[in-house]
Amino acid sequence: MSAYQNPPARALGDDSDVEEEVLVNEYREQVQYEDGMGDLEQVSSLTMAQQTDDIQSRLAAAAQPLDFQAPLEVKFQSYDSYCSLFHFILNSDGPVDLEPPSYYWAWDAIDEFIYQFNSFSSYRMRIARQNNNEEEIHLLKDNPNTWGCYSVLNVLYSLIQRSQISEQLGAMRRNEDPAAVAGDYGSKTLYKMLGYFSIIGLLRVHCLLGDFSLALKTLDDIELNKKAMFARVMAAHFTTYYYVGFSYMMMHRYADAIRMFSHILVYVSRTKNFQKSAQYDSITKKNEQMYALIAICVAFHPTRLDDTIHTALREKYGDQLLKLQRGGPESLPVFEELFRQACPKFISPVPPDFDNPESNIDPMDHHLNIFMDEVKTNMWSPTVKSYLRLYTTMDLKKLAGFLDVKPEELRSWLLVNKQRTKQLRWSDRSLLDGDLVNVSDIDYAMQGDLIHISEAKVGRKLVDWYLRNLARTYN
Amino acid sequence: MNGEDYKDRPDIINSIINGLERYNPEAVPALEEYLGQQCEERFVDCNANRTLLKLYQLNPDRIKDEVITNTLVKTITQFPGTQFTLALHLINPTAAVQGELGEAVQKLRSLNSLLEGCEYARFWATLDSDDLYADLVADISGFEDLVRQRIALLTAQACREVSLANMEAWLGLDGEAATKKFITETSRWTIDESRKVAIVPKNPENEAKKTEIREDVSVDMFSRVIKRAWEVSA
Repeated sequence: MSAYQNPPARALGDDSDVEEEVLVNEYREQVQYEDGMGDLEQVSSLTMAQQTDDIQSRLAAAAQPLDFQAPLEVKFQSYDSYCSLFHFILNSDGPVDLEPPSYYWAWDAIDEFIYQFNSFSSYRMRIARQNNNEEEIHLLKDNPNTWGCYSVLNVLYSLIQRSQISEQLGAMRRNEDPAAVAGDYGSKTLYKMLGYFSIIGLLRVHCLLGDFSLALKTLDDIELNKKAMFARVMAAHFTTYYYVGFSYMMMHRYADAIRMFSHILVYVSRTKNFQKSAQYDSITKKNEQMYALIAICVAFHPTRLDDTIHTALREKYGDQLLKLQRGGPESLPVFEELFRQACPKFISPVPPDFDNPESNIDPMDHHLNIFMDEVKTNMWSPTVKSYLRLYTTMDLKKLAGFLDVKPEELRSWLLVNKQRTKQLRWSDRSLLDGDLVNVSDIDYAMQGDLIHISEAKVGRKLVDWYLRNLARTYN
Repeated sequence: MNGEDYKDRPDIINSIINGLERYNPEAVPALEEYLGQQCEERFVDCNANRTLLKLYQLNPDRIKDEVITNTLVKTITQFPGTQFTLALHLINPTAAVQGELGEAVQKLRSLNSLLEGCEYARFWATLDSDDLYADLVADISGFEDLVRQRIALLTAQACREVSLANMEAWLGLDGEAATKKFITETSRWTIDESRKVAIVPKNPENEAKKTEIREDVSVDMFSRVIKRAWEVSA
């Protein structure tokens, strides 16, 4: 690496919390605004309800959570009603003339649709593995296409295409009028919002299926750093960052993953006070999960965290983090535990093999196993680094003696650690792109058995600290 | 990422990957043929190959075992990185551990782990230890050469000098003569006969220079504070 690359000014802007603050203020205004508007909205939706009673109740139903313990028949029915509703919206003669019941509706409907797909697939897998419910096995075997992966993808892609949302977002990015490319469907709020949230829905589905690079590619049209549409719907904002961060982690891009998790966690901690309680409860669990994921990422990629996050992380996962950072075989169960706690509920896109119950492997175990390969490869890096930090030159055989390992083994550890100091890091293009930068504060090269070590000195970063404290005195 | 997108990817493959065609099972033969071409002509297009694995994931009836193993072997040549694991995530969890395909996948996984863990000598020993390995890499033209070149490249990024004995073990070549030939002709390093070491040319990676990172401060960063100061005084 020629030099430890100076982070561009832009990246610094991302790290500081200016952007979060803008979002927080906007969100606060919006929450207050909506509180005042509540009565008015109810009146208008009431008049509409009288006109198109049936379809409005169907729209409302689509956004309603299904009871967790709903019997299989109800899950089948729910699938059918989603299909007929989306069919009506997509395949009527021209765009249907409907206003969504609320600003949140489109998100809630897509969210619930995917949630039910997710839990149905998990349930089907569980029934196959337990193999003790003849009746349900029979029912599931007879209906392999209910909640099928292809139909779910089809709905999401169709909504995206109909609404011309990609074209609209592209126009917005070029500072052009999105209405010019929206078409008959996309100019209507209903289609535009459904299309938009379908993109985030796709991100989620791809991630659930283990296709992490395609998941990130899906968001090409959405700019995360700008005032994105999803920021107005807290759950959407939150979900997007969770899945993007998780996908980055699975692609071993820990710096980017930490950036994503930090952003949203800071945002949540600041909006906590004016969140409506029900909405806030629903994200508490995901909040905990993201702290666990940050712990994993920080173990791979030690870095300074935002103060708020650092404190919360030490409170929640202090012991585990210490073990992760120490590395070695003792850290492996902790990595596994946190991963299981915090990963999405992975699913398989095809029905399980009901005839060989024990042959069905939980997709989570599959993805965890693969991830653990990388954990194992890197588990000696903390030890190696802690020693290298102490010297400017060191004999490899001598160090091997300290560590009580064969010189050949140490040579491999050194190579592994050296290779991991370079990481792809997002700059300002699509989420998948990035620049290869040096992310470690320690660098070294081997001359035969002699290790030359150099440390990158990090000057104190004062601007962020200064701005943050200044902001605090204002409040 | 290494080997993610091939620069001369044919238009037909491009249109499959970037459109809805990527979900059409009818696209499988074109992608399989493209993979065959990659195996013969020593280039790799991991993005296109993942599209193929994705179609297999959604349409298990289309699966051809040897195509799956060939994609995996192709990604192995792209170490270090995530190409192998990204492909592995798309393979059906059960198929990845059971039956003949499962055995093959697990074998390739251990090969990949050895390369990721920079245990190059053990990689070559493992590759030689079982005929199944030879079968698995048989379709990939120049597999050993491609791996060897990457090992040399990665070594050059971490080392200034390496003993010849060490290089022989890492490159998995038969004897000192072959090792020297590879080092001087393929990698273009020099050899110091008296000390029996290979000398790697200087490059930004193997210098390990001292650096200092300083904060860049620009006026823009203070724009909000300055703005606010005006608001208060007004």
